[in-house]
Amino acid sequence: MVFAAAGTILLVRFAPGFFSDAREMDTKYAPGARSEMQADNYRQSTWLIASQEAKGWLDGDFGQSRQFGVPVSELVGARIRVSALLLAQGILGGWLLAICGALPISGLRSGRLLWGLPFTVLLAVPTAAMATACILAETGGPVLVLSLLIAAREFKFLSGLLERAWRSPHLLYGRAQGLSWHALVRMHILPNAAQQLCALTTLSIVTALGALVPIEVIFTVPGVGQLAWSAVMNRDLPVLIAISLLMACVVGVAGMISKDIFTLEAA
Amino acid sequence: MKNRFSAAILVLMIVSAALALRLAPYNYASQDRDAAMAPSTARHVTGTDELGRDRTVRVAAALLIGLAGAAAAAAITTTIAAGIGLLAAFSPSWAAAILMFVSDAFLSLPWLFLLMMARSLLPLTASPLETAVATFLVLAAFGWPACARAVYRGATALRSAEWMIHGHACGLQPRQLIRLHLVPHLRPLLLPQFLICVPVFIVAEANLGALGLGVGEPMPSWGAMLLELDNSALLARSHWVFLPIALLVVVLLILESFTTEVENHA
Repeated sequence: MVFAAAGTILLVRFAPGFFSDAREMDTKYAPGARSEMQADNYRQSTWLIASQEAKGWLDGDFGQSRQFGVPVSELVGARIRVSALLLAQGILGGWLLAICGALPISGLRSGRLLWGLPFTVLLAVPTAAMATACILAETGGPVLVLSLLIAAREFKFLSGLLERAWRSPHLLYGRAQGLSWHALVRMHILPNAAQQLCALTTLSIVTALGALVPIEVIFTVPGVGQLAWSAVMNRDLPVLIAISLLMACVVGVAGMISKDIFTLEAA
Repeated sequence: MKNRFSAAILVLMIVSAALALRLAPYNYASQDRDAAMAPSTARHVTGTDELGRDRTVRVAAALLIGLAGAAAAAAITTTIAAGIGLLAAFSPSWAAAILMFVSDAFLSLPWLFLLMMARSLLPLTASPLETAVATFLVLAAFGWPACARAVYRGATALRSAEWMIHGHACGLQPRQLIRLHLVPHLRPLLLPQFLICVPVFIVAEANLGALGLGVGEPMPSWGAMLLELDNSALLARSHWVFLPIALLVVVLLILESFTTEVENHA
């Protein structure tokens, strides 16, 4: 998380556009105020920004948003619930779709490519295009787009994983013994694939967090992704750092949980 | 056979796009003000956009710019990844741990968010060409961590191979070992990484463009073409508005088939 914050500060501070503040073009500010803003930007050194941010975190203060003029914690806190709900529904929907597709298709002896074609096509559609198509068709919404995106990504991994599982000798033996498809899936395939599925869930979270931005922007969902987009468009450094920390924290926690499950499973 | 068919379609598309750009009487920025938002006509076969720019020419240019930019970015990112992966594999363990920690830290942030952040921090007054170069350079700069991890794993496994130990015992310098033995053996790993990066970068550019952070106007790009779908007046007049997205999906499916083929072969 510290690395993510430091990286964000460095990236923003050394970006060629750091000194071009969008507010300088806003006519509501007097020319004197605009030149003061410019001078203020030039005064900020990397160490000054980093020390101010670190001091603020220790006090539980994430600073004040440059564009909205309100505390960052207030701004992000209000949007976390919306994004968390969207992420949870999207990931759940995506996994359900991927499992429902991959389980029967991976067990087929032929025609796997044809049956998996809808997922392959979905993989080739950019998130923004998928969201725009949903709006044009007046059907679905952010949850559907996120679910389809996750389903397309996870289907590829899941079907590969399950194809290998179906070919394993103990499953061939089980099939020869006349065990039903349901019994094979419940007793052999899912327990054996559980560890890899946990690791894939972490990847799903990273994918979903990345897709959150275009989805929330296009569907005008008032979540963290939309706030991130607005912050990058307005070079709002305190908000950007807070969102980077939040995202790194979510991915880190998901990774740790996934690793813990591995350890528990091994034990 | 399937791969050859896909390659033939892709080559056909590239040649057609180059011919369309060469033979068309307009360039991608020419505006025909009398034919703004025109449907299919004899002058503009696939119609025009809201500024009267010929859609065929713009789609052709977007195809070539997207493919060339993504391929160049993929080549750069694969080179960076190969360099970092090899450096980590042949460095002391603490240096390898630092390099892999940096790559993990990059992986811990969503890629599109990182790209968006880096791309948006460029100067507000960049020319279209500069924005195009910056977009693809940003993609190349942030695409290497996953690939570097794969190279590191591959190189670490190869480091203890018998022929490497033999080469070492024969007095070959680490640089010679890498150039003569390791890089040729890593090629089957680097080629899929390159092929995986190309469609990923095309999709990322389209997503960035749709958020207004891609290639600047009037230079055409997949992202800018997707923005046309937001124009309801344009949608009501012509179905050719869907041509860019249809072509983009076809191109990505072809590139995806190459990736799958190479992965299966590897």
